[in-house]
Amino acid sequence: MEQFSEALQWFAQAKDTYINVYIGILRYLIPALSVLLLWRCFKPLLWFKREPEIWAWLYLNDGTKYAITHWENVIGRHKSSDVCIDFPTVSRNHAVLTRYDDGSWTITDANSKSGILVNGKPVSICALEAEDVITVGGIDMTLMPITARQEQLMSQLRTKAGNGFDTVANMLLLTLMQCLLCLAFMLGGKIEHFPYILMGFGGIAICQWLLLIFYALIRRSAFELETVAFFLSTLGMAVITTIAPTETVKQLIALGIGLLTFMLVGWSLRDLERAKKFRYLATAMGIGFLVITLLFGQEYHGAKNWLLIGGFTIQPSELSKLCFVYAGASTMDRLMNKRNLILFIGYSVVICGFLALMNDFGTALIFFVAFLVIAYLRSGSVGTIGLACTSLGFAGVIAIKIAPHALRRFAIWRHIWEDPYDLGFQQTRAIMCIASGGLFGLGAGRGRLKNVFAADSDLAFASLSEEWGLVMGVLAVFCIVAIAVFAIRTAVLARSSFYIIGACTAAGIMLTQAILNCLGTVDVLPLTGVTFPFLSNGGSSMICAWGLLAFIKAADTRQNASFAVRLTGNRKEERPDE
Amino acid sequence: MNRVSRRASAVFLLIAILVGGLGFFLYEYFTLADQWVVSAGSPHIYNSTNIGCGQVVDRSGLMLLDLTATRVYAENETVRKATLHWLGDREGRISAPAVSTYAKEMTGYDMVNGLYSYGNAAGQAVLTLSSEIQKTALEALGDRKGTIGVYNYKTGEILCAVTSPVYDPDQVPDIEGDTTDRYEGIYLNRFTQSTYVPGSIFKAVTTAAALECVPDIQEMTFKCSGVYAYGKDKVTCATAHGKQSLKTAMANSCNCAYAQIVEKIGKENMIRYVEQFQVMESVKFDGITTAQGNYDVTNAAAVQLAWSGIGQHTDLVNPCRFMTFMGAIAGGGKAAEPYVVSQVSLEEEITYTAETTETLRIMSAETAEILQTYMRNNVQTVYGTGNFPGLTVCAKSGTSQLGGDEKDNAMFAGFVTDEQYPLAFIVVVEHGGFGSSTCVPILSKVLASCKAVLDAA
Repeated sequence: MEQFSEALQWFAQAKDTYINVYIGILRYLIPALSVLLLWRCFKPLLWFKREPEIWAWLYLNDGTKYAITHWENVIGRHKSSDVCIDFPTVSRNHAVLTRYDDGSWTITDANSKSGILVNGKPVSICALEAEDVITVGGIDMTLMPITARQEQLMSQLRTKAGNGFDTVANMLLLTLMQCLLCLAFMLGGKIEHFPYILMGFGGIAICQWLLLIFYALIRRSAFELETVAFFLSTLGMAVITTIAPTETVKQLIALGIGLLTFMLVGWSLRDLERAKKFRYLATAMGIGFLVITLLFGQEYHGAKNWLLIGGFTIQPSELSKLCFVYAGASTMDRLMNKRNLILFIGYSVVICGFLALMNDFGTALIFFVAFLVIAYLRSGSVGTIGLACTSLGFAGVIAIKIAPHALRRFAIWRHIWEDPYDLGFQQTRAIMCIASGGLFGLGAGRGRLKNVFAADSDLAFASLSEEWGLVMGVLAVFCIVAIAVFAIRTAVLARSSFYIIGACTAAGIMLTQAILNCLGTVDVLPLTGVTFPFLSNGGSSMICAWGLLAFIKAADTRQNASFAVRLTGNRKEERPDE
Repeated sequence: MNRVSRRASAVFLLIAILVGGLGFFLYEYFTLADQWVVSAGSPHIYNSTNIGCGQVVDRSGLMLLDLTATRVYAENETVRKATLHWLGDREGRISAPAVSTYAKEMTGYDMVNGLYSYGNAAGQAVLTLSSEIQKTALEALGDRKGTIGVYNYKTGEILCAVTSPVYDPDQVPDIEGDTTDRYEGIYLNRFTQSTYVPGSIFKAVTTAAALECVPDIQEMTFKCSGVYAYGKDKVTCATAHGKQSLKTAMANSCNCAYAQIVEKIGKENMIRYVEQFQVMESVKFDGITTAQGNYDVTNAAAVQLAWSGIGQHTDLVNPCRFMTFMGAIAGGGKAAEPYVVSQVSLEEEITYTAETTETLRIMSAETAEILQTYMRNNVQTVYGTGNFPGLTVCAKSGTSQLGGDEKDNAMFAGFVTDEQYPLAFIVVVEHGGFGSSTCVPILSKVLASCKAVLDAA
């Protein structure tokens, strides 16, 4: 007993030594583990083999056959048509072939000159039965959807995304990092903060394993995007633990709600018909959130974008972003219709007006970029001019309405060192702290940026770099880049343009947030007070980030990859295979 | 679909902005981070504008300031007071750039590790100041305002530089609420940041100019009847000194003789030599730029020119600069530039060592030598060699008139010519009255203390 207490005493005396040794090791170990983990995640995201799904074959009467690889396919003379028929009587965009969740097919006339015939009858929209003869610009063709059996075979032939072993290994790696970080903060932290530290890191670990188990149950094996998101959330937790330790639980709750949102959005997108219904709801909610904020919102730091509900502050404009993605996404048959585009422009103008009233410059910029992404993806030749004008008006209204607030920030941009005690205070402190941290950081709890306003949200990139090194800051940025590159790459394979637009807009929003947060912090761009996805302290932002991730998941058609995509080969036989 | 998915590549533009912007920042980081770290207000380095990390010790290794945990000053109250203006206060009201300048060396910053050091190792800056001499000097000044500076003109080390008034940083008095003027300019380091009307100590400058440009000046004699008139205006002496040579005029500080000497030198040459002797220029060392002096006779009438040569008119000098000028006379026409930080180390590694740099030659060796004998003569005939036992002191006193009802400032500047005590000094006692009688007793104590410290080393 005596020996034990002696040993304990020795241990207590040597505390400084082992804390110092631990911190000394951790500053290299954490980046090393991160690089390893991210490399393992990025590799399948960035270099996965793009294997298209084949849903049907289109036979032309001259014997050529086309593989139909999407659920929405444009037939036309234009080179970029999915089925390109270079024949003078075929319009540039002639018709759209659409597949539905139940496996049925429809052909829609896309305002072609000569129209379409099905079994010799002119139609503008027509559900296709087997062996129906479609005539496009005088050319006859037959659609042969794949059978349930073929679909099953296809699902077996395509490479399965991810594998259980790698995913579990990644999760173990991430859990190890969470343990190491947790211990680092507890060694240097105050005892009264221990429960918060444990709950923060422990909570993320539990969430990630639960999600993984859920995926295993529904036979989904791709977990890279989620791993990257949990990785960023873990780093965010490290930032919050050092700056506002008592807020870790709040952030954890937000992560939980974020995961539920992720599920809900994913579920809504899983079925295209459901997604279209959700779209109306989301469109209304998008405006609703902004109206509520305008009516009942609180103004903090010049922007009226906070809502106080039962002791919690939420930023409804974050959730509005999510709704905007829904509103912007659209299926191909509708994309061919100009009226839809005009409606969307109108919707954007209304949103823009509300944002102007709210004086929230950062959010307005994000909406603007989202709008540009959607507009570009949607518009063919038609709307370009109108869109450009709207963009200009959008920007103009923001500029005029928010000028005094924004001008102050623009005035100090690239001049922060001339006024380090007032206007340049946040950025100079952030940059000095990044430099103080070097490439590998000062160690857990040793940062001093915590005394600066918004160190854990607007300046999260700097707080992370200060304690864990610029290497980690750069890795955090790469995480967003990897997610976005994946979204672009997978867009080619998405079943519907609804998913392409959704995924690309979600990626665009994440990128814009990362651009404004990271580059704003280091004075490459003006500081706009925008959160870094998953990393920054902020519940609404966390929820929004997970919701956006669901849109990217919905475009991920790798075999067994995504819960937001129906498994192929599961289709029930409606009629016996002949 | 192809069309829409092809358009998806537009998102690469945003990726390019993010990666490009980050790349630009990284480029800035690798080229500028060492400057950022030590920029004003850097949270890991400064406590407001002053150094906020490491330790500062005096030349004997006595702890003056420990910043490893909190801001702890020296144990002794007088030492705390006497060194406060070199270390900076807790609130950042007193700017002390000397130590802050070596923040990078103190923290051991490097691009890869930033400010990380195992166990938060602290750097140490060694000052050339001696807390012993500082203490003696501040006690000698008492509650009078002013400054005392002593430096080694061969190496450049500043052994003593006190300023008064001061306060104890551990027991900060109610300075804002005070209605008397006893705290006037308390946040100022008078040695580096103030300028004073030099009065007769400026005659050393005029004498040097005369020796440089007026042939046979040593053979000339000047008559003093107590008044030297320029029409209505006049230059006066307290008594009529009678026939004066350059040497005796300096010893007696005869204004009438100097009015005539300035006439011989002429306005152009006065301007030229004041410039050549650099007495109005800032001294730059350890991140400090001292206040600039003033010598402006462009529109001066003859009587004003005469007064300018006597250290009145609009003349202003900075104590540190004038001390360096004294060093240059002692050093035969040039001297070492003063400095206050001698070494910075981090753990075992020495990251900075001060090097002696010499001023330009500002006067010929002959002029310097003659001035030395004149100023030695001043001590022998007027100030009394007995005040400085064991030291060959050469000096010039000054009683600078401030105009109005203000009591004169007492000034005293000079040097020691002994090989083992190469010291130049300046003493300023604001409203101290007569130069030599006020300053000599103070200097006597300070130089004795300096001698003891140098002997001990």
